[in-house]
Amino acid sequence: MRQAGAYSGILSGGGISGRTGPHLLPLARIKKIMKKSSVDVKMISGEAPLVFSKACELFIEELTKRSWNMTIQGKRRTLHKEDVVSAVMTTDVFDFLIDLVHPNASDDVDLDEEHDLEKKQ
Amino acid sequence: MAEGPTSPGGGSHESGDLSPRSSNVREQDRFLPIANISRIMKKGLPANGKIAKDAKETVQECVSEFISFITSEASDKCLREKRKTINGDDLLWAMATLGFEDYIDPLKSYLNRYREMEGDTKGSGKGHEGSSRKDNNLNAQFGIQNPYTQGPNYGNSQAQGQQHMMVPMQRTE
Repeated sequence: MRQAGAYSGILSGGGISGRTGPHLLPLARIKKIMKKSSVDVKMISGEAPLVFSKACELFIEELTKRSWNMTIQGKRRTLHKEDVVSAVMTTDVFDFLIDLVHPNASDDVDLDEEHDLEKKQ
Repeated sequence: MAEGPTSPGGGSHESGDLSPRSSNVREQDRFLPIANISRIMKKGLPANGKIAKDAKETVQECVSEFISFITSEASDKCLREKRKTINGDDLLWAMATLGFEDYIDPLKSYLNRYREMEGDTKGSGKGHEGSSRKDNNLNAQFGIQNPYTQGPNYGNSQAQGQQHMMVPMQRTE
């Protein structure tokens, strides 16, 4: 609720109805992050940030639930960064986050892949 | 947009955390607000669950990476098809391609709700045509039935024995 007022202002200013709800992530910020993803990103349709506002919600919920499972497995009640890291490492669709959360992990995998496979067998 | 002096598209050279101030400016550009992230995270937790600050910050970084990951894939598609504007359908396609097909259905109904609402607000024929055209695009691309027109049949493949329970909720709107 605290944020809703400020962002609904941005929403109406950006030509997008404020009635879309207070749960939204700020669309202007999403657009900015989209533009930074690649030099090829030139134009973005009005709907695209909106799709992301919902997609990011789903993504955050999924990542949080998977992280919380790690917290519970450790018999803890506070979700920490290492739970998020574990969730990323054990979930295939989150592979693109490995370098971000655990910068050395992918190097290890590349170098030790054969060793790991041997160990597992 | 709030930060006037920041030149659009010129952020890539500012890599590295040089000073607290510059990293603050960059945070505004690179991440979604942590309060919003935190609020959404709490939805997935039991009432007695707590979230450490480092976890929120990690998820915050992950969300930006997610946006970039999907956008890059969608952008490549636009480039291949010689289009200049990334639209919602491109993003849905990219998500389906990159393993987030579970998001497509909720996103489609979210988008449909938004399009209906926009149509109501503006009351113009233009918006209406646009939305039905895009809906057709989506259905063709993903082979998913439109819950608004196919209500009772929607999801039959998964719930053969429960056809009588598939009430088209959306029609009440």
